[in-house]
Amino acid sequence: MRDEVIITGIGGQGIQLMAKTLALAATRGGLQAMLTSDVGGEMRGGPSQASVVVDDEGLRALPILPSTKSVVVMHHKHSAFALGRLVPGGLALVNSSVADPAAIRDAEVIAVPALEIARAADAPNAAGFVMLGAYATLRLIVDVAALGEAMRELVPPYRAQHVAANLRALEAGAGTVLAA
Amino acid sequence: MTAATARQLHDGCAAITESAIAAGCRFFAGYPISPFTGLLENMSRRLPEAGGHCLNAESEIEAVNMALGASAAGARAATGSCGQGLALMQEAIAELALNELPLVIFNMARNQQDYFQATRGGGWGDYRTLTLAPKDVPEAVEHTQLLFHLADRYRAPVMLYGDPLIAQTHVSVDVAARDFGPLPAKDWALDGSSGGTGHSRQIWTWAMGKATEPGPGPDGHWRAVAAKFDEIAGTEARSETYRADDAETLVVAFGSAALFVEHVVDELRADGHRVGLFRPVTLWPFPGDDLAAATRNASRVLVFELNAGQMLDDVRQFTHDRGAVRFIGGVSIHASGLSFGPLLDVGPIRERILEAAA
Amino acid sequence: MTEAAPRLVARDRPDLILGDHGLCPGCGEPLALRILLEVLEELDIVRRSVGVVGHGCYGSFVQIMDVEVLQCLHGRAPSCATGIKRVRPGTVVFTMQGDGDMVNEGLQEVLHTAARGENVTCVLLNNGVFGDTGGHQTATTVVGQRTKTSLDGRDPETHGYPIPLAELVASLAGVCYVARGAVSSAGGVARTKRMLRSAFEHQLAGDGFGLVEILTMCPTGWFVPAGSGPQYLTSSLEAAYPLGELPLRGQP
Repeated sequence: MRDEVIITGIGGQGIQLMAKTLALAATRGGLQAMLTSDVGGEMRGGPSQASVVVDDEGLRALPILPSTKSVVVMHHKHSAFALGRLVPGGLALVNSSVADPAAIRDAEVIAVPALEIARAADAPNAAGFVMLGAYATLRLIVDVAALGEAMRELVPPYRAQHVAANLRALEAGAGTVLAA
Repeated sequence: MTAATARQLHDGCAAITESAIAAGCRFFAGYPISPFTGLLENMSRRLPEAGGHCLNAESEIEAVNMALGASAAGARAATGSCGQGLALMQEAIAELALNELPLVIFNMARNQQDYFQATRGGGWGDYRTLTLAPKDVPEAVEHTQLLFHLADRYRAPVMLYGDPLIAQTHVSVDVAARDFGPLPAKDWALDGSSGGTGHSRQIWTWAMGKATEPGPGPDGHWRAVAAKFDEIAGTEARSETYRADDAETLVVAFGSAALFVEHVVDELRADGHRVGLFRPVTLWPFPGDDLAAATRNASRVLVFELNAGQMLDDVRQFTHDRGAVRFIGGVSIHASGLSFGPLLDVGPIRERILEAAA
Repeated sequence: MTEAAPRLVARDRPDLILGDHGLCPGCGEPLALRILLEVLEELDIVRRSVGVVGHGCYGSFVQIMDVEVLQCLHGRAPSCATGIKRVRPGTVVFTMQGDGDMVNEGLQEVLHTAARGENVTCVLLNNGVFGDTGGHQTATTVVGQRTKTSLDGRDPETHGYPIPLAELVASLAGVCYVARGAVSSAGGVARTKRMLRSAFEHQLAGDGFGLVEILTMCPTGWFVPAGSGPQYLTSSLEAAYPLGELPLRGQP
């Protein structure tokens, strides 16, 4: 059972942390994962993209995906590559607080107002984890608890104060999907 | 779920670090330069934990010479850089070869443009550098341990040709120690103990020995070293083929490029094209005999590499029918200058193969 | 009357020297080698010492010194010494380098190795000239000194100024001992030998980086008669490079 996703956005939205959390959660759960990153040079505002492929034993994947079954769109800027790789009818999970879902064609588009949800969960900086919680619940590769554990592992000591908020965001994102 | 705890999510630099430590590497020196820096960072954190030493040297020149010293003292040592930094290490690589000192060199290259540098070398004298080119992180892990073994076995500097995708892609990987068989003791290594005995050890590229025990001198020594590399050329060439047995069109590619070509081969086969891949695993010694055999029945031999045509020279030399060789690669660089450009992608590769096979 | 049995009263050279050197008459480098080896013997560390020898006339010493040696690339000896010492901390590691080797090609290596406080002993044989290639200017050639690349004598306007390596090293934290001696007189030889001994004692105590700079005669490179080396050294090199143990300015 194989899953692939390209997460696209701009620097500062936590794209890389989202992707690594997903890949690590899968790994800890005994699955194989491949994670690749492509970032611009700037600290904020430049392109940020990551791809995660998950599979059982024998994962074969290219570091630059020729196609993907899913994309998570955190921002409309720099999203052309990821959307260009989405298979017809593939899943486009869109952060509708920022990106316009209506602009995406030929995909199963699911809009998640991640910023609003994050604020409501008192996790204003964790929109990315809202999206991740939603994605994981849609695709059922790893559960929110596993994502939470992986996130805990990845968050550096000087950001430890954000762990609780990130967990809330993951739950809120998952909850959005379940409620829909 | 027994594999769950053993398997880690590592990028190539972290995985190579763990693999090197598992192989007994206890000395590393390097200088930060993309995309090698991750290897230096990982070694810096992990080697001391394993009882080893990692030095952030003042330049690549010092890094390789520190590693040379550690090797001369009998430790399993390594260094690395990308092609730009390896350019500074060329003299020392020759020195290692002519001193018959083992060293593993990690070329975390920015692209495939360092093929000539790796296989022809830029140092002085008659030496060759055994070079392995993994196609992905799991293979890089395996090659790392094999290289420490081969370096000790042949008493020579050896190289892993990596790239940014291998350096920076994370995969779930096990890094277990692998056993490649017994090796002779390093009785040539310096520890001071033969001082004052009249037979004190000497490591010198000119191998003239001591006044009381003359050595073979440069003529005898350099001929012996050259002969050793001839031996390695005869025994250590490695290659792989993928769906090549009945291929009309054989694509030749190494490293990450080969990984992409494999995928394209599958796509084209599904469309009915008889296409396959020949992948040199050692860049030197180039698996010429294997290539000659693999190209016997191919009407087209397409060389795909991300440079202006370097492995192309070796392919031309050994292909069964030279006239069948065409170059479908090219220089393709990421906007940052630090990684591969748009040519390393399934779409463009597929197009080029189809165009050449038409 | 029976003759007394012969009694060994002195050796003409240490046992650690395996043969004659082939260097010029009047060269100071063999003197430096001799006192270095005598110190290793006296401290009883021969069987745990490794020398890293650079490139110069003294490079041929690797054939006549009964000590384990690594002959290394020009300038790189301190780096190689670093590697050896790190993996074999119980080994006594020293370098032997000329001024062309250490102060031209290898300035980076020696300064960084010193600043890192590597527990090794570097020995600089300073005669102000690239002797082995025929007598060319180095970073330590003194003002007014004639070489094949400063035929009218080193002129600051054209050739800049010499680099006093010992003073540079002494300015760095990580350094535990810096001294400059000269083998141009019997007294100088004895004092320089004591400096070497001190330096090695510091290494044995694990105190950090040590440097002994030894001014040596090179009458061939200086275009003076073989016997005039000591006088030239005293009047030219010593004037630019004061002798003695240097105060360590770089202490943190």
